[in-house]
Amino acid sequence: MPTKTFVGVFDSDRAILAAARAAREKGLLIRDAYTPFPVHGMDEALSLPPSWLSRACFALGASGLAFALGFQYWVSLFDWPMNIGGKPFDASPALIPIAFEITVLVAGVGTVATLLVFRGLLPGKPADLAALGATDDKFLLVIDGQTEEAQRAFYREHGAVRVEAVGGGAR
Amino acid sequence: MNEEEAKTQAVEDAKDGIKRRDFLQLMTGAFAALAAGGCRFQKPAEKIVPALVAPEEGLPGQAAWYATTCGACPAACGALAKVRDGRPIKLEGNPEHPVSRGGLCARGQGSLLDLYDSQRYAGPRVAGAPVDWDTADLEVIRALERARASGKAVRLLSPTWASPSARAELARLRARFPSLRHVVYDEPSLQASISAHRLTHGRAALPSYHLEKAKAIVSFDADFLGTWGSPVQFTKDWAARRKPDVEPGLMSWHAQFEARMSPTGANADLRVPVKPSERYGTIVELGRLVAQKTGWSGAVPPSGPTSVSRSVLLQTAAALVAERRRAVVLCGAADVASHAAANWLNHMLGAYESIADLERPAAFASGEEGGFDALLAELDRGEVAVLIVRGCNPAQDHPRAADFRKAAGKAGLVVSLAGRPDETAKLARIVCPEHHYLESWSDHDAHGGVISLSQPALSPLRGTRGALETFARWDGRRATDYESIRSYFRSSVLPRQKKTRSFETFWEDAVRLGALTLGGGAGKAAFIPSSLPALKAPPVSAFGYEFIAYQSVALGDGRQANNPWLQELPDPITKTTWGNFASFSPSDAKSLGLVEGRVVKLEAEGVSVELPAHVQPGQASGTVAAALGYGRSGIGVMAGNLPVVKMLPIDFQPASGADVMPLSRAAAVTVGLLSRVERLTKTQTYDHLVDPLLGERRDHARETVLADYLLNPRAGNPAEAKAHSLWKEHEYAGPKWGMAIDLNACTGCSACVLSCNLENNVPVVGKSEIAKSRDMHWLRLDRYYSGPPNALEGSPDVSFQPMLCQHCGNAPCETVCPVLATVHSTEGLNMQVYNRCVGTRYCANNCPYKVRRFNWFDYAHADLSANLALNPDVTVRSRGVMEKCSFCVQRIYTAKADAKVEGRVMRDGDVKPACAQSCPSEAIVFGDLNDPKSKAAKLAKSERSYRVLSELGVQPSVHYLTKVRNKRV
Amino acid sequence: MSTSHVSPLREPLVDGVKDLGQITRDVCGPLDAAPTAAWYAAFAAALCALSYGAVMVIHQVWTGIGTWGLNKTVGWSWDITNFVFWVGIGHAGTLISAILFLFRQKWRTSINRSAEAMTIFAVMCAGIFPLIHMGRPWLAYWVMPYPNPMGPLWVNFRSPLLWDVFAISTYFIISATFWFVGLIPDLATMRDRLPEGWRKKVFGLASLGWSGSHRTWQHYEMVYLLLAGLATPLVFSVHTIVSFDFATSVIPGWHATIFPPYFVCGAIFSGFAMVLTLMIIARKVMNFEGYITLRHIDAICKVILLTSMIVGLAYSTELITAYYSSNHYERFAFINRIKGPFAGFYWMMVFCNVLVPQALWFERIRRDVRVLFLISILINVGMWLERFVIITISLHRDYLPSSWTDYSPTYVEIGTYIGSFGLFFTCFLLFCRVLPMIAISEVKGVLSYARGDQDKESRHAH
Repeated sequence: MPTKTFVGVFDSDRAILAAARAAREKGLLIRDAYTPFPVHGMDEALSLPPSWLSRACFALGASGLAFALGFQYWVSLFDWPMNIGGKPFDASPALIPIAFEITVLVAGVGTVATLLVFRGLLPGKPADLAALGATDDKFLLVIDGQTEEAQRAFYREHGAVRVEAVGGGAR
Repeated sequence: MNEEEAKTQAVEDAKDGIKRRDFLQLMTGAFAALAAGGCRFQKPAEKIVPALVAPEEGLPGQAAWYATTCGACPAACGALAKVRDGRPIKLEGNPEHPVSRGGLCARGQGSLLDLYDSQRYAGPRVAGAPVDWDTADLEVIRALERARASGKAVRLLSPTWASPSARAELARLRARFPSLRHVVYDEPSLQASISAHRLTHGRAALPSYHLEKAKAIVSFDADFLGTWGSPVQFTKDWAARRKPDVEPGLMSWHAQFEARMSPTGANADLRVPVKPSERYGTIVELGRLVAQKTGWSGAVPPSGPTSVSRSVLLQTAAALVAERRRAVVLCGAADVASHAAANWLNHMLGAYESIADLERPAAFASGEEGGFDALLAELDRGEVAVLIVRGCNPAQDHPRAADFRKAAGKAGLVVSLAGRPDETAKLARIVCPEHHYLESWSDHDAHGGVISLSQPALSPLRGTRGALETFARWDGRRATDYESIRSYFRSSVLPRQKKTRSFETFWEDAVRLGALTLGGGAGKAAFIPSSLPALKAPPVSAFGYEFIAYQSVALGDGRQANNPWLQELPDPITKTTWGNFASFSPSDAKSLGLVEGRVVKLEAEGVSVELPAHVQPGQASGTVAAALGYGRSGIGVMAGNLPVVKMLPIDFQPASGADVMPLSRAAAVTVGLLSRVERLTKTQTYDHLVDPLLGERRDHARETVLADYLLNPRAGNPAEAKAHSLWKEHEYAGPKWGMAIDLNACTGCSACVLSCNLENNVPVVGKSEIAKSRDMHWLRLDRYYSGPPNALEGSPDVSFQPMLCQHCGNAPCETVCPVLATVHSTEGLNMQVYNRCVGTRYCANNCPYKVRRFNWFDYAHADLSANLALNPDVTVRSRGVMEKCSFCVQRIYTAKADAKVEGRVMRDGDVKPACAQSCPSEAIVFGDLNDPKSKAAKLAKSERSYRVLSELGVQPSVHYLTKVRNKRV
Repeated sequence: MSTSHVSPLREPLVDGVKDLGQITRDVCGPLDAAPTAAWYAAFAAALCALSYGAVMVIHQVWTGIGTWGLNKTVGWSWDITNFVFWVGIGHAGTLISAILFLFRQKWRTSINRSAEAMTIFAVMCAGIFPLIHMGRPWLAYWVMPYPNPMGPLWVNFRSPLLWDVFAISTYFIISATFWFVGLIPDLATMRDRLPEGWRKKVFGLASLGWSGSHRTWQHYEMVYLLLAGLATPLVFSVHTIVSFDFATSVIPGWHATIFPPYFVCGAIFSGFAMVLTLMIIARKVMNFEGYITLRHIDAICKVILLTSMIVGLAYSTELITAYYSSNHYERFAFINRIKGPFAGFYWMMVFCNVLVPQALWFERIRRDVRVLFLISILINVGMWLERFVIITISLHRDYLPSSWTDYSPTYVEIGTYIGSFGLFFTCFLLFCRVLPMIAISEVKGVLSYARGDQDKESRHAH
């Protein structure tokens, strides 16, 4: 196991994408890439499965809808039936707007919360490699399972402008 | 009431910025005793007898009803005082009373608040300083003694005082002080009719009219449904013949010849604008036509000028003659000639044999011509040693008030019996304040053959004293009113009836019922034809506009001018509140270039008043009319606005208008336009059923004519379209409360409006709020003119429509409330939950009838002692909540409780909402629509019945009965 | 921001070839520099308006709704007019950020951030009015269905006003979430370029330890897409529900099935007008001419032109429906708008909303910032009038002529309205100063794709 992890610093999305592709072809294990904006094609490069958050969103929305409708019916049919404007107790059309709003609310807020928790984006959490400008104009690639020399060599030959060592490793 | 409340009152007081002095004054009144602890309000010392079945008397929270007699005007209607925890909180008509038979006019009901007027005198005063009774009496007696010694005159000045025991008391006093004479004047007065009858029948009396027998009524300026004579009684009788569906031949025909648009004219089948100067001529012309038809051979009065078309007169004459012995002519003029001519007509039509009763004449007006002028002369000559003023206010309420104010100084001593400060009391050296009528015993024989008795509903709030007792004291006796009246009844009334020998039983019955009918009466009075040729047509004034000073329905002669409920009561015709105005005919307004609110200056004989103008359709052109009683200054805060607790100051708007009494004798006035504009504060700003842009007529107030109605009972009232519902309607297992309002019987008298205010603690909001269209009335009287909106001439058809919460089955207001502050009850009531209301006003916006009222501010009572009149059964609403008619739900529940206690089911008529109870013409019927036998349900099913805006599918519970005009064209 | 083909023939989305670092500097630079004089002036004005409004609201709540000009017949006027006005304005923000995103409209990137901010602030302003228009605002929480000890006591789920409560609060929360999610990467950018200090700490907290990891980017993009997908129907639902306040009532002039689409289009219309106003100010005050280009302005104008014509169609449809209904009350309601006491307002509305925008047919005008500013203001006025016309003119003369009244606002109502503008601009100007007004990461993305097209072509070849 390497004592150090090295980060390849690239200055364009094309460069880092090429490097990542190369690493994949070589069968190197890419730990992660850090970029100022989502670089497209990186998913395949990192061979990531498609995000499962869409399914989470659907589940949340469905439960929100069920709750909203259930609650409204319970109130107006069982808990407190009231003669309001001569309308029947189960005035279903009237219950739709609120049901819809609750659905959207639960789905939206819930999905975001899931993302933040799942990706550990929480207030006060220190950012990885913050110093290397991945939020400005640098593109960082971190590969695993290689000797120091091999890492350096790989980054260089694939056009990294710099190679930085980070102690302990970034996760 | 307890100490805390008294304290909180004090706090609110400070909040309302009432001056410390006023506050102390309050404390001296009701609240002083409250602060001393315990309940101050208690039954009078003497035994008083609640009406009908007595509940356990004095039970806290239990209301007892006491029969009494309304003292708001000389008509002396029978009234029931609702007494709760020892204080009267409501006045209603006494159904047992032989004359008024239930129903009480707006002023009568409003008089309750006068009882709690914080400005009433706390006790006798000499030269403005409070003294004890003995001191005051002593000074008066000394003055009287001196007068007797010097033989100088002693005068008692009062309006018609139809009280037998008072007359007896005065006789005693006169026996002791022979120079005492009783001078009587009424202003405005029915004197002319009395004098005319002396002329034409040799009997100075005012006939009592039985209009229920009249199938044809022709009235010349007599506003008998509004303010003339005994309106409640007349309305009841008149309305009895305005219900076409009772029997075909019943409906009467009513024509009104008048200068200004009066409530009576508004209800007439034929209304003809006639200038006062042409009244006499018109009557005589009509008389001549009737004479031809009836073959009158006797003398004929000289004719006078008239511009009324012959065809109209012929039609009227025909209608009258067709109904001989069932036709009557009424005259409200101030000139004897017109009255005499009217008497002639009545004689020819045989009215004296049926309708106009001279054998048992009415006594709500009396006195002799020129009495007041004579008194002024005496005063000027300094012949009057003692002038006692009782029940009137000559320094204000007489055309020659200015002269009186001057002359009064020359009297040796002026004594006033006024209960509260007024213009005269300020002139008087001694004030011996008398009780409010609800505090005192009294008897009345205002109506022929009837003696009504009024018992106090509570012991006096202040250190006042009954008038009779005061006289007794001056006579050197110690007899209370109670004793005097009892002794009079024992000596003079008991013998006149056959029912019982025992005085106590007799007395108890009399007190409980409040009135008893006695036989007797004078003999016939023959008509004297020779009196006719001597009549003289009243002089026609050469210049200006003919002037009419009239009594308004709200304020009458103005003795209640300090009463906020009445000040805020919209005038039935103009819908104006808080002030009077000069009304002109549309054509005159056009020629003068007048717009509503433009201030005009009316001037005659050096006297002038300034009033905002009002344009009145149907008014005779060439005339200007203004209401009496307004514009009195220095008589109370009520003449102004009401304080509202606010951070920034609000626009204070004093009641507009001016006192036209000084002008009231003037036949004509000159009109000058001022640059000023004073907006009239109206509760209804658009007057027509026809909309101003499309010119289409809306059918909220439906009507037809009798001829069509007899052919087709649904005339003018197309059947309701079958409402299709998407869902199953809710069932009403028990009662479903509803109402039927007969537009044909409703005269617009507005008694229901005031009754509703009292019953439901509806706040008074003051002029500036009314100006912003924020009146709080739960029940309003919509008044519509039909016919061309911009007509300059002629008289529009007028329809009145009481508009209140319709308690819709599918109420639009309920659906939209986010917090369910308004929901439907299982008995079909649309309920408003004040506690839950957050005040979004969405319900009011979505109400097609706009009957919901919002509390824009905390509406404090300007006069805190008025809080004593609040109904404990109804929540006083806080700022920011919506309120509206509840069908008097508190009465529904009381009736239920009573039925339960008596172990029976509720009967139709058990529940009478305040409006229905007070309606003199019984136009409003309340009941269970689910019970096919209930009166309301029957009416709701009648062919005349319809529901306003039913096409919206809101299923209103209030049914209106189409108005049927008895037009002969 | 998934890949899309942007033709090189099109104008660039950002002017002047820039490298990524320059974008960062351009956007974040102004935040480090001291505010301009123009900013101070604007902020002072906004603050004055806000405090004036605050005094008015306190006075009104303390004293009573009576301080407004409302009466027994006109129960709503300026209050609800302002409410609908502000909600409408909010809609453009969501539209730009969500719908244009779904339609892959790349040009949105440099304006969506501020448009979303506009949404949030507008909804805040809107929310005030339903609150203070209550007779007893201190009990406003009663409109929430919360368990309580008063036995069964719930709210009325049939009331459009309650639907409003849920719609508006949902709309606010979702918009705010959407906005914040979009902000996270840029907050990180700020954090990383700031020197040590309290600002760095604050941004550090706010950026939730964002590092630009692609594993996060992947899910992040999905969430952003989902939020866009949720926000789009939400926008439509919100103004549909607002229109239900009127459409479900019985008042002629309110009771109309056309309202939902009519209101939504009106909202987009007024919203884009407001975006235009703000962008024109912002690009001047913050010197963003390079990012908020004339092309953006031009695109906005086209949307305005379209929605203006839809609104015009709605107006005429209303009239024809009323005429064709041959229902007296319906007819009168609209005749009363055209010829009644408030006719002036109606015609002013038609002028501002239907006639004025026709000028946008001409490209010369679409690119003349001064004229556009004037037009955008006129449209905002017109759209306010539209709501006033619908609400007040329908109410003041409804069924029974006996209750017809007039209405005129008091200084309190006017002051409250001014105050709402104060709040809006105060918030917006602060936003300009403390947060990146332009979505940095998105612009970077767009820029690099625009650059990267050629070699993409080649890549697709083999």
